[in-house]
Amino acid sequence: MARKAEADALWSIVGYMLSGLIFWGGAGYLADKYIFHTEYLTLVGFLLGMGGALYLVWLRFGRE
Amino acid sequence: MINLQLSGDGFVPPSTNDFNLPPIFESIEWLTKPVLLVFLSVILVSLFFVVSARKAAVVPSKLQFAGETVYAFVRNDLARDVIGPEFMRFVPYLFTLFTFVLTNNIFGIVPFLQFPAMSHVAFPYVLAAFSFFVFHYVGIRKQGLLKYLKEIAFMPGVPKPVYILLTPIEIATFFLVRPLTLSLRLFANMFAGHLLLLVFILGGEYMLSDPNLLMKILSPFAFTFGIALTFFEFMVQCLQAYIFTLLTALYIAGALADEH
Amino acid sequence: MEGTLNLVGFGLSAIGPAIATGMIFAAYINGVARQPEARSILQPIAFLGFALAEALALFGLVLAFVL
Repeated sequence: MARKAEADALWSIVGYMLSGLIFWGGAGYLADKYIFHTEYLTLVGFLLGMGGALYLVWLRFGRE
Repeated sequence: MINLQLSGDGFVPPSTNDFNLPPIFESIEWLTKPVLLVFLSVILVSLFFVVSARKAAVVPSKLQFAGETVYAFVRNDLARDVIGPEFMRFVPYLFTLFTFVLTNNIFGIVPFLQFPAMSHVAFPYVLAAFSFFVFHYVGIRKQGLLKYLKEIAFMPGVPKPVYILLTPIEIATFFLVRPLTLSLRLFANMFAGHLLLLVFILGGEYMLSDPNLLMKILSPFAFTFGIALTFFEFMVQCLQAYIFTLLTALYIAGALADEH
Repeated sequence: MEGTLNLVGFGLSAIGPAIATGMIFAAYINGVARQPEARSILQPIAFLGFALAEALALFGLVLAFVL
């Protein structure tokens, strides 16, 4: 069980980071394109999403 | 699939067009080779297990032994070890999933069939949709809709404002990325593996039919590599069927568990 | 030949995280093999290291499509 859960943990880490990037990066992209007409919000969204995802990974796998 | 590159206008590398096979009969548009292979796999799998289980005896015949080995593998290694005490309910689904995916994958290297149906992305999508439905249904039945959603969306031990950042990520992970990665992993492996085999076999064929003598001499290397990769593909195909079933079992276990 | 040069760049940039991930898990396996009871201590560290290395690869993946 422990070993099999490890394989799942690695995939769910990747899944967290991917969905963080997709959601917040996508939000930033849409805000850039349709609301504020700026250029930098996509990047902010990516950083925010990745930060949140890394925080989630730490919450779920990093603390003992 | 058999397109000899005999004309002298250069080598056409295999591309995604090699996966769009024409219908077998002109009049029936939906009956292409992958569809036929899926039907064939269903017939083969059910036939094999019906025959192997029909004359079940205490001292098993060879066929019964083979069938029971596969069944025991799925039941013990996948279902019981991962899901825990309630595993028996999910064995039929996991077993069907494993044998179906495995048979379809192995069709990729069986001579004359030689096409993994899972390299068409629609098939993994449907399988992942089934798994998605099963593990969310199980979780909702076990814990109630609101409690289940709350457990997914709100990680405990976080200051309240941070939930604005984290909750969308969690929801996107559970409802979008998980089924998507589940299906795309299977699809990408089968697609890339089939493409790899096509490159080496068709490339070797082209080299053999080239008028240049040096190319003819070198072509056996391409074929040898193609055969070696076929065995490698066999390994990948078994592994992907295993991983697909394992991840489904892990997701079911996660939905059943009270907290993560 | 057609396609975008972004993907070539992504392939090149993925080399770094790939090596990093390999080294992280090599060290993790080494540690667990020498001292199996250290697994519960090493595992979070290995996973966090994996996450940090993989973050760069995923940035590359997403930016290859966006830019």
